[in-house]
Amino acid sequence: MTNPYIEHRDYGPVRFLHRLNPLSKLFAPLPAMLLVILTRDIPTPLAFILLAMALLLVGAHLDGRLALLLFVVLPLAVGFLSLSFGIWTDRERVPVSADVFSLGDYAFTTEMWLSGFSTALRLGAVLVLGLLAGATSTGAELVRALVQQLRVPYRIGYTALAAFRFVPRFGHELEVIRSAHRVRGMIGGRGPIAGARRYLGYVVPLLAGAIRHAERIALAMDARAFGAHPTRTERHIVPFRARDWVFMILFWAVTAALLVLVPRLE
Amino acid sequence: MISLDRVRIRHEGSGAWTPDGASFAIGAGEVVLLLGPSGSGKSTLALALNGLIPHEVPAELEGTVTVDGALTTERTVAQLSEHVGMVFQDPDSQLVTGTLLDEVCFGPENLLVPLDEVLARAERALRRVGLWERRLDNPDVLSGGGRQRLAIACALALESPLIVLDEPTANLDPAGIEEVYAALAEVVASGERSILLVEHNLDAAIDLVQRVVVIDREGRIALDGTVDEVLRHGTDALAALGVWIPVATMAALRLREAGVDLDPLPLTPRELAAALDAVELPAPPAPDGATALGGVVISVDSLTVTRRKTPILSDVSLDVARGELLAIVGTNGAGKTTLLQAIAGVVAPPKRRILTAGLDPATADARTLARHVGFVFQNPEHQFIRHTVAEELAHGLELQHLDAGAIAERVDSMLERFGLGHLRDVHPFLLSGGQKRRLSVGTALIAGAPVLALDEPTFGQDRERAAELLDILTQLNEEGTTVLIVTHDLQLVAEHATSIAVMQGGRLLAKQPAAQALAGDLLEEAGLRHPPLGQAMRALTRHDAWRGISRLRDLP
Repeated sequence: MTNPYIEHRDYGPVRFLHRLNPLSKLFAPLPAMLLVILTRDIPTPLAFILLAMALLLVGAHLDGRLALLLFVVLPLAVGFLSLSFGIWTDRERVPVSADVFSLGDYAFTTEMWLSGFSTALRLGAVLVLGLLAGATSTGAELVRALVQQLRVPYRIGYTALAAFRFVPRFGHELEVIRSAHRVRGMIGGRGPIAGARRYLGYVVPLLAGAIRHAERIALAMDARAFGAHPTRTERHIVPFRARDWVFMILFWAVTAALLVLVPRLE
Repeated sequence: MISLDRVRIRHEGSGAWTPDGASFAIGAGEVVLLLGPSGSGKSTLALALNGLIPHEVPAELEGTVTVDGALTTERTVAQLSEHVGMVFQDPDSQLVTGTLLDEVCFGPENLLVPLDEVLARAERALRRVGLWERRLDNPDVLSGGGRQRLAIACALALESPLIVLDEPTANLDPAGIEEVYAALAEVVASGERSILLVEHNLDAAIDLVQRVVVIDREGRIALDGTVDEVLRHGTDALAALGVWIPVATMAALRLREAGVDLDPLPLTPRELAAALDAVELPAPPAPDGATALGGVVISVDSLTVTRRKTPILSDVSLDVARGELLAIVGTNGAGKTTLLQAIAGVVAPPKRRILTAGLDPATADARTLARHVGFVFQNPEHQFIRHTVAEELAHGLELQHLDAGAIAERVDSMLERFGLGHLRDVHPFLLSGGQKRRLSVGTALIAGAPVLALDEPTFGQDRERAAELLDILTQLNEEGTTVLIVTHDLQLVAEHATSIAVMQGGRLLAKQPAAQALAGDLLEEAGLRHPPLGQAMRALTRHDAWRGISRLRDLP
């Protein structure tokens, strides 16, 4: 779980993505994401994956986690998904091709695999394009940008941010409840039904705790004048500068260019 | 500055008015302690001072609360926050943001205070509680005491002339309590703020306050006066109301009955020691002999527990005899809970290291284990799994496949014993705090376990409930149940435990009979403080024979 509160860090002019407004990083790749979902080929999503990866390589501070995600998890996931999507593909609907392998009546053909591969690539492309904003801005920054530029009511934005605090707390609480139920002998057998029953038993204590906690937080926030005025003092201004426009327009231009050029390469 | 006139409050769905007709006022710079037995409406009253009642909490308010010349009903909670700051009991449920600085700025930002003023206020507030250097940390990394100091800083930053603190130390260990009171002392010393403190831990609060207001069980103001008037001269009235009085005062009252008259009545360990040194004392009575103990029922043999490569327990060995009431004490992170959970098999320990009532908790299955050792969690709600109180008790027996008649009989006797008979068809979650606690002890014992283990069962409860639970445990113990309890409340430990295991940094420093552990320097070595009576007696300069006393019942 990433910490949504970590302060914004600057990594110098080359790592330019960190210097952009989270909204421009969110809106720049949006058309590309939509278009990629609509494509059926392999080169287009591949081209956008390479574009986003190149931008991240240059413009983002590449820590261990991001590198792992980009160069290990992503290729493995695309590879694995291409097989699973391929197996789901209806053989009648793809062109006839050589078998990759066959099991009795069932045959897995190259075209099936290629069809799965394009689906997996589309998902991968959406993920990497999303990382342009996701890997280079913090939760607090995004909330501030939403409030300052998009005029999202700050009551919603800051409440969402406060809710992040619930996550680790509930994780811990669930762990305690599980061991408490185990001690009471609620082992109740194996299998999905027993498992579901077991989890249902955790819901009541977890919810009771959650509601009480949320009520207390709400009182504490009210006691500190949350929601007193339509706006609040902003200590961190997240500006939307000329460079944000430049980034967005350039990105849209490149998106259009790729869409025109890539199919012609085939 | 704030005045209450015949304030009555009734929570939605509740029949009783608590408080019921409270009238008092707090002036500039005053430090007021609000006392009362549990259920008297202290916390409810606190919520009415900044308008949370009636604006946010569903409750009916009669009478008036006037803040700075205007009625709370005619202003919003946000407007009132500039006049009354609040610090709540649970440090975790008042945190909103990700850094200490953001947290302290949160209130002033909401009030549209200009930017440089926000930062100036934040710096003043954080410096006052000694957290300025840690302003960029996530509040999660602070200790409980640290987070509560942060909550005080947040109230300070609102620049409200009155700060209300509702049981601010109930969820803290002794070190945290000390931290919070040191920070509060700073605030009081500055003299800028009035303070209303709702607190049951009188021993910690007494040095700070000037005035005491006491509410009785019906929610009416019973006493209102200076610390001297209420605590020194109204002691008998307080005891009759069921309000906890300082341990030093209790000791003096007991001595008075034995013919040792201390005048004026001492309120703190320091005063008690000075008063005793000023008089002649008879020889103290011989402490009651140690109770006869049976054979070993729990044995732990060089237990080491490591989690995520961090050692939690290293090389712990101890034996517990049948019939002991063992308190496991230590600072946070000493490994107390881990040891208790290993003994009870809540978290599987390494194999062949522990024998609990003849079983190895590492390999025994949960149902067999439940017949040998009962475990009570800090929050009783966590272990409730059925829909009525009676089913909850029957659960453990059903797992043992007893016949229905035998189950009904044992459930009835358990309901009787814990005073839950009239609640047998109620959902466990609808019980009161004390009833939930008693039910959780009942469910842990019903399968006939000879060993009962409790993890911080008094955490977040007031003294009255804590004492009630300890009385139950003492009684069970006298009937032969071996009781293991992890707790921070050392006076409670002193009064009830037969032996004490002191832990530090994952090691067992020593396990000794309670009297011996309380008389020696073991607690200090582990970074703990002696309980109030022990502190007083150890500070005596005369009366060598009295120095080892730390239990009220060892006084004449």
